[in-house]
Amino acid sequence: MRRHLPAVLVAGWGVLNGLLLVVLAIYRENTMTYWLWGGVVLVLQLFALAVLVSSRARPDQHVRYRVPDRGAGGVLPGAVGLLLVGLCLVYGRWLLVVAVPLLMLSVALVVRGTTAREK
Amino acid sequence: MTLAPDTDAQRGDAGRPVTPGSWLGWVSTTDHKRIGLLTIGTSLVLLLVDGVFALLMRAQLAQPEETFLAAHLYNQLFTMHGSGMIYTVMTPFAIGLGVYLVPLQIGAPGIALPRLTLLGYWLYVLGALTMLAGFATPTGAHADGWFSYPPMADSVHSPGTGPDLWIVGVSLAVTGSILMGWAVLWTVLRRRTRGMTMLRLPVFCWSMIATCLMVIGSFPALLAAMVLLGVGRADPDVFASNVWNIGYQHIFWFYGHPVVYVMFFPYLAAVAEVLAVFSGRRFFGYRGTALSLLVFAALSMSVWGHHMFATGQAANDYYSLTSIALLVPAGVEYFGMLGTILGGRLRLRVPMLFALAFVPQFLIGGLTGIMVGTPVIDYHVTDSYFVVAHLHYVLFAGSAFGLFAAVHYWFPKVTGTLLDERMGRLHFWLLVVGTNLTFLPMFALGYLGMPRRVVTYATFDGFGLLNLLASIGAAFLAAGMTVFVVNVLWTLRRRHLGRAEPAGDDPWEGHTLEWATTSPPPRLNFPADRPLPPVTSFAPLLDRRTGGGTA
Amino acid sequence: MSGWSRSRTSDGSDRDDGQAQRGDGGRTVRQRHVFGTVFTLEAVIAGGVFLVVLAVLAWSLLRRHARTTERSERPRVEAFYVGALAAFAVFLVTWTAWQNHEEHPAAPREPLRVDVTGFQWCWDFRYPRSADHRRVTGTCKGKDMPTLVVPTGRTVQLRLTSRDVIHSLWVPGLRYKMDAFPDHVNTFTLTLDRAGRWRGRCAEFCGQRHWTMDFWIKAVSPREYDRWAHGGTAAA
Repeated sequence: MRRHLPAVLVAGWGVLNGLLLVVLAIYRENTMTYWLWGGVVLVLQLFALAVLVSSRARPDQHVRYRVPDRGAGGVLPGAVGLLLVGLCLVYGRWLLVVAVPLLMLSVALVVRGTTAREK
Repeated sequence: MTLAPDTDAQRGDAGRPVTPGSWLGWVSTTDHKRIGLLTIGTSLVLLLVDGVFALLMRAQLAQPEETFLAAHLYNQLFTMHGSGMIYTVMTPFAIGLGVYLVPLQIGAPGIALPRLTLLGYWLYVLGALTMLAGFATPTGAHADGWFSYPPMADSVHSPGTGPDLWIVGVSLAVTGSILMGWAVLWTVLRRRTRGMTMLRLPVFCWSMIATCLMVIGSFPALLAAMVLLGVGRADPDVFASNVWNIGYQHIFWFYGHPVVYVMFFPYLAAVAEVLAVFSGRRFFGYRGTALSLLVFAALSMSVWGHHMFATGQAANDYYSLTSIALLVPAGVEYFGMLGTILGGRLRLRVPMLFALAFVPQFLIGGLTGIMVGTPVIDYHVTDSYFVVAHLHYVLFAGSAFGLFAAVHYWFPKVTGTLLDERMGRLHFWLLVVGTNLTFLPMFALGYLGMPRRVVTYATFDGFGLLNLLASIGAAFLAAGMTVFVVNVLWTLRRRHLGRAEPAGDDPWEGHTLEWATTSPPPRLNFPADRPLPPVTSFAPLLDRRTGGGTA
Repeated sequence: MSGWSRSRTSDGSDRDDGQAQRGDGGRTVRQRHVFGTVFTLEAVIAGGVFLVVLAVLAWSLLRRHARTTERSERPRVEAFYVGALAAFAVFLVTWTAWQNHEEHPAAPREPLRVDVTGFQWCWDFRYPRSADHRRVTGTCKGKDMPTLVVPTGRTVQLRLTSRDVIHSLWVPGLRYKMDAFPDHVNTFTLTLDRAGRWRGRCAEFCGQRHWTMDFWIKAVSPREYDRWAHGGTAAA
């Protein structure tokens, strides 16, 4: 229990949301809100499950860390690519001509892991 | 791949060094401190930009029937001020503070998911710029307010690309916040150092847990709302049906209320840390406060409909019940803060001044919050200046004061230099006067019948004097913020020239682990030659200083 | 409390009403009365809490050099204040919910029905049951503001909708507002016991001329109202 406190905490918080949702249902509200909030409770339980799986796989308090710094060079092109995909919806699909190569470049940079080391 | 052998013995491994000023090192950094600083720095710049929008509005409203700004421009300004401050200033600053501080406070050498955090930062920056880019379009920026209800915000009633850019920008910015929220939550849950149990987490870390839970739970709803708005702009028939008009409000406010506490908890906790440190004692009622933060956060997910009391289409009794119930956890936190300073030996340095002012000023926002959470009162004051006053007492008199307390408090940790104390005091007093002079009259204006989002008002309405006072207050705020900017730039300049006095590792006699490392902390947070102090409670450094264990 | 209505009655055109509206908090209008009671009570409590917190702050500041206590957990004190806060919350929730229901009683059998339609940027008031389907509208430009005329003493049912975007009908002097949605009808009732004239406005942002969307609501004696409903202009 102690060891899995983080997972219990997230799950418990989700359950608290669920309880409030049940009370809302007693008062009656737009059906859309049940789906929305119910979905959120589900997402929270999935997150709690991920925490649980992670803490079962490795000890709760870490003493060893990986500090990944490879491939971070791909992040900015990726972000710009996503922006361009968003702007497609405003200015038209032709922007994909730029967005797709940028996203591919970003993926390549992340996978190949070339970046300036910081230390 | 870098392997850090142990938290208290991290040796720098081989790797091509990047000079500190290298822009490449910054844009592709995986150091949580750099990402946190980038986020905080960006949001501070945007704070000034969006603040200028507010000053222009106050100039327009200073006198009745003023024609300084055209209506359409005014509408763009209040929209970009509100949405900018919420989506791109207070929220990212709060989460960015967590990105910087949480790994340090839990004794970790880095953040979990650093590349995702970096992606979050860039999405946030690009989103903020996209929102502002609307000003460069022929029809101007988005102009329907930060919650942009359809059908007003559909393409029939708000034509042009400004609103489209706003939708894309908001979506990107909120995606960035969600990614950062995940990373911070995972870090605090799974990357704690040896001995750092959940019940030894600093109050600030507890606030970040509650904050990030709300981010995960509620922020996707804003994305859904933006998608709905985008679909409705492509096909305006969508909003011919009331189902989607009221549906949008439900989805939007499902995000729109929890975000208020995302913009509040981290600042509240920063204030709590400052109050404890500058009172020279442990935070009072730690367990109760941690629990109350979680309950507060869960309740905050259930109160969205109190923004919809006047729609005639919401379960008002339920939202009133949950909104008023918030006073219990909020009260517990207030008792915690008061219990901390009561009987403490207070040192009135600048961070403490901001933290002390937070207490009564935020209280005004909180108490009027109970009022607007009461339907029969809300029917009159909603969408009036009463609400404008209330939300600014929460977000400016409260959260922004917490923000400045945090900046002054952690500045020496981040830069190794203290901000100037005299300029800090001037900044503080100008802000106190300005805040109350600006926002107090707005309560009366709203009560007397001034609606929000009006470009001007008739002379015979009799709102002139109170508005003039508010505008004079805004001038004080402008002066105070100028002092703040000068203080930061001047201090950084002196530091750059090597003239600044080093602050030392722990200038305030802090309680939490970030004060156990150097200022600024090294790449992996804790120097190899200095072991972390044993984590004996939520204030390990205080324990070490007093030789005491638990209390 | 009377600021709003007094500033209205100082407007010259109002004087011929004879009975200037005084915000005396009396039971003239249900909404205004309920608002007044709840607002006053909550404001007094809020003021008290604020003063107590200020006093604690001041005390801590004055005695800031003398350390008095080291304890950082007091479970009994904490349990006590949680209990007190919870009890207070329960009281506030139930009492205000009851007040809310007082404010929205079921409509009597024969209310005077008025169909209100908001549009960009003015209002349209129709009296579907009046003899010749009286209708009042305007442009809300300058002095051209529509006047919603109602008889005193009789329950008026307002059926609220919109032709384009969301508006909100707000009469600050009556302390009440309700949103007007397109494709949806919201209803509330109003009983004005005294003759008088109040300013109404739009409270939901609705575009360029949102700020000019003002109207008047005018209560006249039933006799005068009947004359007006049959095409007279005396009251308008």
